[in-house]
Amino acid sequence: MNNSELESALKKAQMPARPEAFWEMFPRRVVNRLNRPPVWDRARRHWLPRLAWGLGMAMCILVAFAIGHWHGRMEKNGAFVLLQNGKMLREVLTLFPNRVRAIVQDERGLQLVLSDQPNVPMSTPLWVKICDGKQCSSLVTFSGQELEIAGQKITVLSDAEGGIILEGNQFVWSSSARNFAQGGLKIEAKRLNSITL
Amino acid sequence: MARMAGSDELNHIQNSLAGDTEAYAALVKQHQKMVHAVAFRMTGSLADAEDLTQETFLRAFRQLDSFRGEAKFSTWLCKITMNLSLNWRARENRRGDVHAKWAENAISENDSRDQFPDELSRRVQNALNKLPAKQRAAIVLTVYENRSHAEAAKLLNCTEATISWRVFAARQKLKRWLQPILHEQL
Repeated sequence: MNNSELESALKKAQMPARPEAFWEMFPRRVVNRLNRPPVWDRARRHWLPRLAWGLGMAMCILVAFAIGHWHGRMEKNGAFVLLQNGKMLREVLTLFPNRVRAIVQDERGLQLVLSDQPNVPMSTPLWVKICDGKQCSSLVTFSGQELEIAGQKITVLSDAEGGIILEGNQFVWSSSARNFAQGGLKIEAKRLNSITL
Repeated sequence: MARMAGSDELNHIQNSLAGDTEAYAALVKQHQKMVHAVAFRMTGSLADAEDLTQETFLRAFRQLDSFRGEAKFSTWLCKITMNLSLNWRARENRRGDVHAKWAENAISENDSRDQFPDELSRRVQNALNKLPAKQRAAIVLTVYENRSHAEAAKLLNCTEATISWRVFAARQKLKRWLQPILHEQL
């Protein structure tokens, strides 16, 4: 076979066809993505007005709990401890059944990330802490959730054997093979098995 | 700016820079098939090609003010697509290590195997998939995008000699892998 025969064969090879409707819709899909704010902002902007009371109540619970039960330990360990508290988590999850995508504690304080629909499956909560230099974000979430943490989108996954995997744009980290972590991020994660819903 | 772009295209670029997303939709419509074709040849997967095509246009929009018009707009888009495709490969390889155990039981949604119009098309894409990514990129640009070695070198940030070598090495492998199907067809 010579080069021109090869080139002819390569050029004869066709790609799978897309329906014309796909090409008609595609520019609209790109524009929709351009108009869409990042997931984090979208969720917050969409739900803040409608669920202001809910967030307020949740914050009250968090504050009351923080003051009543964890004051001493907070001084010692920081507010990240809050996220591992079963009572607080259960109450927030009861307030927003199947809607809590994550409870995040970072330098901005505690924040609740809610889904538009009650479509967050019940599973064992996962606790994750990510430190980028001196800045740390700590959160409780569920397997399959995609969140914006430390400036990048990260998907949190768990498997049946208790392993946790974090997948970002620039790295993949696994609790069973920690050498995959990259980009100077320090990551810890564990299942909150003691919290039953 | 945009000396190499046509007047309509130039208008669309300028309006897009001013935040007019409808103008950008027109640019997407004009170049989507080229970008998708490059992405598909690089990944061998319709689903990944779709993701990469979207990502290319999103990134292009964000970086539109850096388009100086020294090359055609299509060339600029092609360069973004290539960069994303090559990074996609690296990311998929890393991800493959971690996800291997899940992938064993998963049915791949990316499988385009049954969607090719004929056996030759399927075998050619399989052969392209087996090439190292940089050699595949050289073939995609020179054969499917009809770029000269000099243009391909610019797009891939390497020398013309490197492109020539990659094309040569890729051809040797493709000839070996595709020999049986070409004999069957004769």
